[in-house]
Amino acid sequence: MIPTMRNIFTLLVFSIVSFTSVGQSPEIHGYVRNYTGALTGQNGDFSIVQNTLDLDIEKSSFDMAFQANPYIYHYADKDELDYGLREAYIDLYTDNMDIRLGKQQIIWGKADGVFITDVVSPKDLREFLLPDFDEIRQGITAAKIDYFSGNRTFELVWAPVFVPTHYPEKESIWFPKSYPDNYIIDNSEKEVKAGLENSELFFKYSRLSSSFDVELMAGYMWDDDPAMHTRRYMDPQTMTVDSVVATPKHHRLSLAGGSFSTQIEGVVLRSEAAYYMDKKFATQNPADRDGITEKDYAHYLVGADFIVGGANVSLQFIQETIMDYEEPLVQDEFSNTMTFLMNDDYLNNKLTLELFAYIGLDNEDALIRPKATYELHNGLNLITGANLFTGTKGRFGQYNANDMAYFKLRYDF
Amino acid sequence: MLRKNLKFRNTILLLLLFIPFMSNAQDLTGKEIIKKVYYRDDGDDRRGKLTMTLINSRGDQRVREIKQFDKDFGKEEKKIMFFISPADVRNTSFMNWSYDDPAKDDDQWIYLPALGKVKRISSDSKDDYFMGSDFTYDDLGDRHPDEDTHKLLRTETINGEECYVVESLPREDGYMYSKTVTWVIKDKWIGLQKKFYDEDGEYLKILNVKDYKSFDGILVITHSEMHNVQKDHKTVMKYKDIEINTGIDSGYFTERMMTRGL
Repeated sequence: MIPTMRNIFTLLVFSIVSFTSVGQSPEIHGYVRNYTGALTGQNGDFSIVQNTLDLDIEKSSFDMAFQANPYIYHYADKDELDYGLREAYIDLYTDNMDIRLGKQQIIWGKADGVFITDVVSPKDLREFLLPDFDEIRQGITAAKIDYFSGNRTFELVWAPVFVPTHYPEKESIWFPKSYPDNYIIDNSEKEVKAGLENSELFFKYSRLSSSFDVELMAGYMWDDDPAMHTRRYMDPQTMTVDSVVATPKHHRLSLAGGSFSTQIEGVVLRSEAAYYMDKKFATQNPADRDGITEKDYAHYLVGADFIVGGANVSLQFIQETIMDYEEPLVQDEFSNTMTFLMNDDYLNNKLTLELFAYIGLDNEDALIRPKATYELHNGLNLITGANLFTGTKGRFGQYNANDMAYFKLRYDF
Repeated sequence: MLRKNLKFRNTILLLLLFIPFMSNAQDLTGKEIIKKVYYRDDGDDRRGKLTMTLINSRGDQRVREIKQFDKDFGKEEKKIMFFISPADVRNTSFMNWSYDDPAKDDDQWIYLPALGKVKRISSDSKDDYFMGSDFTYDDLGDRHPDEDTHKLLRTETINGEECYVVESLPREDGYMYSKTVTWVIKDKWIGLQKKFYDEDGEYLKILNVKDYKSFDGILVITHSEMHNVQKDHKTVMKYKDIEINTGIDSGYFTERMMTRGL
């Protein structure tokens, strides 16, 4: 959809005025941000020049609340605006139960920067993992019911409409390099039609206590990432593969998992794990039709958070394992990643320095993200940093040419 | 004989008259004074709005506002804070469960709206400054008297209030303060002034209580100022909209409230 500026403005003004005119007086907060990033390895070309308006319109009372989170992205190199509703929901509260209906982001798990049991809200990966996490997660239309008993929570989520991971377009610098040039993408079977039989169901039990925190979860869902069914076409004269048609298709997926955290001698220990049943994987085994086979799959993490010399430090080790592995599978049996986070503040909290890194242990690649945030005024922050990719292959090394430096000026109100 | 008895009786009467003063002024040890501060009645639960104004040496001001609730649950105290401003930390919440047992670490959680989940954090940050203020987390909590050795130095009158002056030295090595000196108001057991000395023994900062109010006999500090003399940075802390003993529901101190907010 390509809206005009006037339409957007009218929509926003209408929304705000209609709320306030009925005497509801909702609170309006949000931020305005300029984000300018340049590729350091490609003659300083801009990778992004983005202006953002992000609003939180909310109203709450003792037994109900609503929240709407409209956003507008303006890109300097595009005429059209990118706009939408990140969230728009109504909450109903009773003594022991909260019910949330509408478009919402649902976030589970104890991991930082990694999605293990955090599978309810799909991701927007059009700019890889670089945006803030509330911008990476997409809202889903769902009914969420939380029942509370002391410090225990039972949560049920029903999502009637499936939303897949949002991938970059082929011309984007963030388009994965894993597809050969002779691949033809056929999107004819990608859509999962909305309907009762295609809805998703998730359940979570969580408990927060003085000794430990725990979450147990299960989901009957669609795999947010499509399996690439492939058909090879041979050149009849040379009898070599002439082209490959890849048909992305989403499949049903069942998973169960949990997470745990506790503190021992000032160190917070965390773990999180998910076990997927019959996940689809690409294979080069000619016996498997469409180049797809089913395998169980485990994804887990252990991590520790601690303080060194006043700085917060966090380490995580993440492993993905394909069970009953067979050699022709495209993906490796094990995939090992680490994350490192360190941050500290100075000048009475005016300056915050942070270093975050994903480190791929199998391909010796990494994404290193130094960042400095300086508070210019109440709510006004200047943020500057870099995204540095090392290695030549793997999840991060494939973007080696995309090193960038950026600054953001953000005003929260 | 009668005269001797009268003299003895007069001596007893004189002693009885002076005993209260003697016990206050001389018999109390530094530790007993600090214990009286620690165990002063502060109600069963408290709620209020905290405003911190951070002022640097050039006079530039930044403001942080917090709504906080806390409640005693026998041998543990639970506190929850909701950050109101500045806008970039709005809807952040912080929960702390602390325990009478000095050997047991506090449990702490933070909810950051951008992350969207409640996260357990290390409570090993007592010497960190709270939200950029001149108060550390430890300054804002109740330090157990057994963690320091205390010595009554003298009595002194400041701001018209008669005070005990108590020096406290930490028992643990490497604590952020090598020494503190507290002026405790007699019979009210409020620290009216406190000087902090850094790990090198240098004078670091001073806390001055500017105002306190009585709520049904419970004294609450409503206005204080911490001045870091080394950095010439000040934090003015005001506590208002105070309510004591309103029977805050235990459900306030849960993950549910952290994510829902005020």
